[in-house]
Amino acid sequence: MNKLIPMLKKKSYEIRKSMLEMCIKAETGHVTSSLSCIDILVALYYGNILNHMPQDPSCDKRDRFILSKGQASPALYAILADAGYYKKSELDKFAQKGGMFGVHLQNDVPGVEITSGSLGLGLGIAAGIALGAKMDRALYLVFALLGDGECYEGSIWETAMFASHNRLNNLIAIIDRNYLCVTDFTENLIALEPIEDKWKSFGWDTQRIDGHSFEDILSALSNLRSRRSLKPLVIIADTTKGEGVEHVSNNPLWHGLAPKGKDAEFARQCLNRRYANE
Amino acid sequence: MSNISQRDAFWKRIYEIAKEQRNLVVISADMGAPALDNFRRDLPSQFINVGIAEQNALLIAAGLCMTGKKVFVYAIAPFLILRCLEQTRVLNAVMNNPITLVGVGAGFGYEDSGPTHHITEDIAIMRALPRIEICSITDSVMAKAFADISYNMKTTNYVRLDRLLFPEVYHSDSNFSEGVSVLKESKDACIVATGSMVHTALEIAHRLEKKKINVGVIDVYKIPINTDTFIKKIRKLKKLISLEEHFLPGGLGSAICEILNDHNIFIPVKRLGLPVKKHYCYKYGGREVIRGYYGIDKRSIEKEIINFISN
Repeated sequence: MNKLIPMLKKKSYEIRKSMLEMCIKAETGHVTSSLSCIDILVALYYGNILNHMPQDPSCDKRDRFILSKGQASPALYAILADAGYYKKSELDKFAQKGGMFGVHLQNDVPGVEITSGSLGLGLGIAAGIALGAKMDRALYLVFALLGDGECYEGSIWETAMFASHNRLNNLIAIIDRNYLCVTDFTENLIALEPIEDKWKSFGWDTQRIDGHSFEDILSALSNLRSRRSLKPLVIIADTTKGEGVEHVSNNPLWHGLAPKGKDAEFARQCLNRRYANE
Repeated sequence: MSNISQRDAFWKRIYEIAKEQRNLVVISADMGAPALDNFRRDLPSQFINVGIAEQNALLIAAGLCMTGKKVFVYAIAPFLILRCLEQTRVLNAVMNNPITLVGVGAGFGYEDSGPTHHITEDIAIMRALPRIEICSITDSVMAKAFADISYNMKTTNYVRLDRLLFPEVYHSDSNFSEGVSVLKESKDACIVATGSMVHTALEIAHRLEKKKINVGVIDVYKIPINTDTFIKKIRKLKKLISLEEHFLPGGLGSAICEILNDHNIFIPVKRLGLPVKKHYCYKYGGREVIRGYYGIDKRSIEKEIINFISN
């Protein structure tokens, strides 16, 4: 087992907890969308994957992390506070008067690259940055975390074609495949499967992993800098929307909501129980 | 008549700048121009054709911009403005990635191509977005000048090029910083026009002069309108006629009325443009025929102006 995994599990618990508390306090925020990608984010930020510099957020050499599913902003904001990009007390002001950030991602927050909330934009911006890096012969990597639901946007596929044609092998897309959109499961709306074949046919290298297994995530994301393929890489991470909080997970009714009252208390208990069991 | 189109004058100058400034990148949504052939041949690493994919063009442009490139995105105007409007709003107006949108075919420039290729709403739409300046180009001299102006801009601009050839009304030493210029003086009434309609306005003003009617012409080539300069130029006039190849709601005429209203200036304004009740049309046989359908062909305009100023 990778030596980092116990630490990552602890981080994942802590970030879940602070994300949940900030949303409960604000009575808003996409809790379930955040929970589905927190393990991926924790692996990126604490698993020696992403080269990032909290003390110098706009350093040229940093890897670029593009959170395309901007509704998961509470997860990223909690991580950036923990990593030291800004004071943790900012989380208490999430989506409130005088606060520096709200429900959807904004690019003026230290450590955040783009404004997101409108879906289907992040991958294209990431591809543009990856192309810029190639032009500059810069060695940083560009990561984009996409929701599976935003793969319905045509612009994603415009970019998918563009990125493979231009051999953007410095671009890594991760799809948070939680199978849920706003109102229903993806396979009931318009089937996204076989999603891996779709990306393959667009000229990408693909990997499919369990998005809540740190072993899987780390093995997919490690050694990216020595990758020899000329193709961009997409990692399809199977996840559960609301992972870690049973009564809100895998349920379309909980999209975009923060639990209140008894639900909030139950959510806290779920997280604590889960961590105690590990 | 100019011997070079606005499009070629613009790209020719961009090519010269790009040879010196290697951070200049052109993204084309499968649009060419004779002047771009040299660019593509000599500076291939600075030229990207994304195919017919305007949304991706804007996304790639934003990403490149975030790595310090000055990006020019080029397409037929209706597709550049309308297909990817939300990208422009988020990437440029919200995130403030300063790029230059270069749209060719202002108004009915693609004459016989029909309403899909006409753009008669872009001024209303783009002037509703913060941080975006419309550069409504009048002639090839101005087009060339706006290549340099665009390269140096710190916010997004939309260079609105006509497709057809027009006489040149500006000179190589013309200054384009004000955004508004008086092309023909008058103390009474003035036509305020933009783009191709500036040429129509000049023609009509000269025709009226022969009938002893003195009407001036003001060219508004930057929108939002430079309010202070505009007010200085129109303050003493008795009547204004706005003239645009654009639907009336939200266009140049609206912008003028807003300024007058907000500054308590009481000058009657006759707005000439496309009435929305006339919808889109399938009319062929040239620009003047299409304008005729909307009541803004030269004869109709002249009649409207005479009626307006004599009442």
